[in-house]
Amino acid sequence: MSQKGLQRGLIAGLGFIGGIVILWWMSTDPTKGMEVSLPGADNRGKAVAIEENIIIGEHFQKVSENYTRLPEKWERFRGANFDNISTTNTSLLEQFPETGPDIVWSVDLGEGHSGAAIWEGLAYVLDYDEETRADVLKCLSLTDGTELWKRWYNVNIKRNHGMSRTVPAITEEYIVTIGPRCHVMCVDRKDGNFRWGIDVAKDYNSEVPFWYTGQCPLVDGNKAIIATGGDALMIAVDCSSGEVLWEIPNPKGWKMSHSSVMPFEFEGQKMYVYSAIGGLFGVAASEPDEGKLIWETNAWNHSVVAPSPVCMPDGKIFMTAGYGAGSMMVQLMKQNGKFEVQVLDEYTPKEGLACEQQTPVYYKGHLFGVLPKDAGALRNQFVCVHPDDPKKIVWASGKEARFGLGPYFIADGKFYLLSDLAELTIIEPSLDGYMQLEQATIIEGGHDAWAPLATADGYMILRDSKKMVCINMKK
Amino acid sequence: MEKKAENRREFIQKSARLSLVLALGGVGGFALTKTTKDEWVWQIDPFKCTQCGRCESDCVLAPSAVKCIHAYDLCGYCDLCGGYFKPDANELSTAGENQLCPTAAIERKFIEEPYFEYIINEDLCIGCAKCVEGCTSFGNGSFHLQIMHNICLNCNECSIARVCPSDAISRVKSNEAYKVKGDFTTNT
Repeated sequence: MSQKGLQRGLIAGLGFIGGIVILWWMSTDPTKGMEVSLPGADNRGKAVAIEENIIIGEHFQKVSENYTRLPEKWERFRGANFDNISTTNTSLLEQFPETGPDIVWSVDLGEGHSGAAIWEGLAYVLDYDEETRADVLKCLSLTDGTELWKRWYNVNIKRNHGMSRTVPAITEEYIVTIGPRCHVMCVDRKDGNFRWGIDVAKDYNSEVPFWYTGQCPLVDGNKAIIATGGDALMIAVDCSSGEVLWEIPNPKGWKMSHSSVMPFEFEGQKMYVYSAIGGLFGVAASEPDEGKLIWETNAWNHSVVAPSPVCMPDGKIFMTAGYGAGSMMVQLMKQNGKFEVQVLDEYTPKEGLACEQQTPVYYKGHLFGVLPKDAGALRNQFVCVHPDDPKKIVWASGKEARFGLGPYFIADGKFYLLSDLAELTIIEPSLDGYMQLEQATIIEGGHDAWAPLATADGYMILRDSKKMVCINMKK
Repeated sequence: MEKKAENRREFIQKSARLSLVLALGGVGGFALTKTTKDEWVWQIDPFKCTQCGRCESDCVLAPSAVKCIHAYDLCGYCDLCGGYFKPDANELSTAGENQLCPTAAIERKFIEEPYFEYIINEDLCIGCAKCVEGCTSFGNGSFHLQIMHNICLNCNECSIARVCPSDAISRVKSNEAYKVKGDFTTNT
């Protein structure tokens, strides 16, 4: 065979082999042996729901009438002005005595994160009693922790990162609570007499949030405002009668989050701002449009949202959430008589101020908060930013001063910040830098101290997952 | 048949052999004890680990000898598990697009409302630490990495330890080869 013929034969042979290889390659399934991950592999939904007959506010017990009446209040979640800044006139300690913090009283509670509200010498907390399996509204003497009365109803709650996690809303007339499974209860503040109850999950076909309800109720005048999700976005209930005054339709099926409804006034319009699972919205809180949805945006939509919206005087609203969500700054505007929302910035927790559980504090034109664990090098640090650029950290507490998911607020011109382990840190709320004044452990062996703080008349109430303590902070 | 009586020479020979065997056995046993007791192996301190992902990429083995293990006594058995689901997953289902693990090495099992159990399939785990990061950031930190000694080659110089940014890998005695989180270890 000539050399040319040999070359041709070789090329033809190689082409044939190449063709066979390509055919083999094309016919082979590289995913053979792989399993497709499909929904339902966890066998979810096989459980049988057992309907309970829950009678809200069913039981009552009066124990004592003795307490010392005091002038000040911390009447609800985030205090009088919904800003987590106390209006107290009492001078508070910035350093503890050598003997340590003065623990006035302590009480054991069911596992949870429910905080206290204070009204003129009385402290109120919605506990979950694990023995009797009941949501229990307790009225305690602020000065010595004595229980004056309690009202409760039986409801089965399984341990799931705690059970209770809300703060009652108190007015001169009423106390409104929301239990772990969305049971709203209204009682008379003075004697605990039952007024009315609503089973939100049942009556509005709404979902109980993961790890139970975190929404703290809002009482505005004579109305209780509840963001229900399910069949309604939000409802208003007459506190004296329990009559539902208005309901806002929920065609998009937005759900209840752990966030709480925040009142806000902008461009002469009073409104209620809420961050649902699905979006952020505002509802007119005054006539002539009371009870109407006046703006909404689905730009802010995350599966778990615990912090509440931080509404600022210039119409900026800061939203933040954990589980990798990060934060968003929006601008509320009124144009041609209608409210609109513009997204100014959105970013991950590594890029700027973000909080997983607590709501940042707006103070002296700046935002203060503790960064989450997934915030990179600044994780768990207490930081200060300016709302014009929440990605630019004005100052951070440093790697030696890391905190956790615990609460923080301002009282008597100082920041009080509680760590997961119930260590209280007192901080000068300066815009120049982190200035730590004091730090002391309040509950030895404390664990998951996440409940909001409350203070009045020099008494400060805080708790970890199982114990509530009151410390005397009077100077 | 009459058994032949053992003479003195044979008795001494047998006794010497037996003594030798016993002595060798004793020395061998002692040496073996010393070998296993004082041998050092590589292990990760889960409290120092920052889930950087280098355990997956820098081990001389492929897949890595580092695997995720689960401390069930720390787990919250949550429906929304930060170690199982991607942040903002479309829905809390086992569909592949919702899962954080790139190899679907975590099995999610419904127990009863609201609890779910999460089981690591060691054969599929590549030690990428994505689940550990999610669990540590948003949960109780029950997922954590460990070097598996049935796989590890126990290199003289561990290639992951060389690049670990948090010095979380060190030699430990082989009779205490694992640093497992949970009630039986402490964060100290």
